[in-house]
Amino acid sequence: MLSIINLKFLNRVQSFILFFLLILLLFVLLISFSLGSYSFPVLSILMGNTSAIETTIFSEIRVPRVILAAIVGASLSVSGACLQGLFRNPLADPGLIGVSAGAALGASTIIVFGSSLTSTFIFSTFLLPLSACLGSGLVILMLFLLTRGFGHQGVTYMLLVGIAVNAIASVGIGILTFISSDSELRSLTFWTMGSFGGITWSLLIPALIIIFISFLFLLPVLRNLDILQLGESEAKRLGVNVKNLKYRIIFASAASVGASVSLSGMIGFVGLVVPHLLRLLSGVNHTYVVIGSALLGSSLMVFADLLSRLLIQPAELPVGLITSAIGSPFFLWLIFRINKI
Amino acid sequence: MSISSKNISLFYDEKQILKDISIEIKEGKITTLLGPNGAGKSSFLNIISGDLDFYNGDVFYNQRNLAEINIQEKAFLRSVMAQSQPIIFDFSVKEIVEMGWLEKGDIKYSNNFKTALKEILTECDIDYLKNRKFNTLSGGEQRRVHFARSLLQLWRESNSADPCYLMLDEPTSNLDLFHQIKMMNAIKKLSIEGVGIFMILHDLNLAFKYSDYIAILKNGKIVNFGEPMSIINDDVLSNTFGVKIQVNKKDDNIFINYV
Repeated sequence: MLSIINLKFLNRVQSFILFFLLILLLFVLLISFSLGSYSFPVLSILMGNTSAIETTIFSEIRVPRVILAAIVGASLSVSGACLQGLFRNPLADPGLIGVSAGAALGASTIIVFGSSLTSTFIFSTFLLPLSACLGSGLVILMLFLLTRGFGHQGVTYMLLVGIAVNAIASVGIGILTFISSDSELRSLTFWTMGSFGGITWSLLIPALIIIFISFLFLLPVLRNLDILQLGESEAKRLGVNVKNLKYRIIFASAASVGASVSLSGMIGFVGLVVPHLLRLLSGVNHTYVVIGSALLGSSLMVFADLLSRLLIQPAELPVGLITSAIGSPFFLWLIFRINKI
Repeated sequence: MSISSKNISLFYDEKQILKDISIEIKEGKITTLLGPNGAGKSSFLNIISGDLDFYNGDVFYNQRNLAEINIQEKAFLRSVMAQSQPIIFDFSVKEIVEMGWLEKGDIKYSNNFKTALKEILTECDIDYLKNRKFNTLSGGEQRRVHFARSLLQLWRESNSADPCYLMLDEPTSNLDLFHQIKMMNAIKKLSIEGVGIFMILHDLNLAFKYSDYIAILKNGKIVNFGEPMSIINDDVLSNTFGVKIQVNKKDDNIFINYV
């Protein structure tokens, strides 16, 4: 496993931060497993001192939910970091540039037109994630064409494209909302808010596999993503297969964002904020930023989900609201900072 | 061992940029390309470095056709220092230089990484900059960092006989006099160690002092090629650059004056 990551270029501080983030993640997971509208003392679960109903709540509701939050946080942050590297643009974020919107449009389309086609199980386990991945993939492909193969065209150009893509997707979702039936409408509203509720193992496992495979796909090219920052022709001179690098990142980002969005709806700003926090902490090389984003992204998302479950009990705050509330001021600050440079 | 170009021509939008160029870049020698703006110098460098692939004619690296050498292999054979692009993220100087290090999948070679890096940071006089952010450096300092990166790409163990080439597009632009001379000395040292050097220069004095061969490119054609002492004279330079130039040769040195 470790041989596909080139750890040579991590400095000592960065290795320490990654190690610390791993511990943090385990800690946050543990807390999140035990706290909620129903609290489980960690020890009693480990000792098996729980009743049958408690065990069911824990293993069928709590654990899958927390794991979903973790993998969604990781995949949004990792694809944010990778897209920022690919576009050589610090403001690229799956939400801002329309990748998540594409996934949501894909998912909504299949909810409205496809839910009657097959059984619920096949539909929500395979058709929904697939359609979301297709949607995000199409948007990335469109961005690829509009930016002439992800050439660097200034920081603002891509945000403008993102505004347009988001607008197109929301028109699509709007039309779908208009023609949908009552039950379909309820599922649709769910996308715009973003939530980790209602997850089951049978939905979680395919997404888990997709996201895991896309990470494996990314790990060997993180060093090349650094070299790409010198410019495309310079990267080629240094022996980087730029085409292969682009395809890997397109595939991995589309698949992981698609899989996340199909289960959790649209959750904004995570992909923007998390990689920047890591860069502020220590350095910009992608081995550090991407692996760190996976760890910090999942910790933050699990924590945000914990907040959403605890803040206004017994009701639940939509988690997308929490991340946007934290993320949007950060985005503004980032714009001012980049303007200064 | 050499890089040889055979009948290279290049067209851009029906306009002919390069006409039938055949020259040889020898290992262990410095070959410098001179010529006015727009003569096609950078295009020619891009062709023999393998960046451009829509030319007519052939380029051979040690008898192997360049078109058949894959991108990773090319990276081991030659390193290029061209005009650089802005870098968006705040990499440190050390990180930028490290990007020149190529992994060969050979552990024994990889163990040399730290030695090689240290050696090159010192040689290029940027050791004191290594922890600075690249984007905070001046234009000249950034050039030196890119130069160091190109050298790291070509780093070989001292007993290695692998052929390699260094191509530079106006390496001394933006440098102060001290660092111009320092860089040219480093280039000379590499050529003595066996590296084949091909570069584009605008400073004629530097070119004549350091080059083994001079090629003069005008309107897409090589109009002169040879050792500086034998080909350089008042007429050649005045005709090439459209300025009256007086050449003084004394012992082994060439000086020029603008009249």
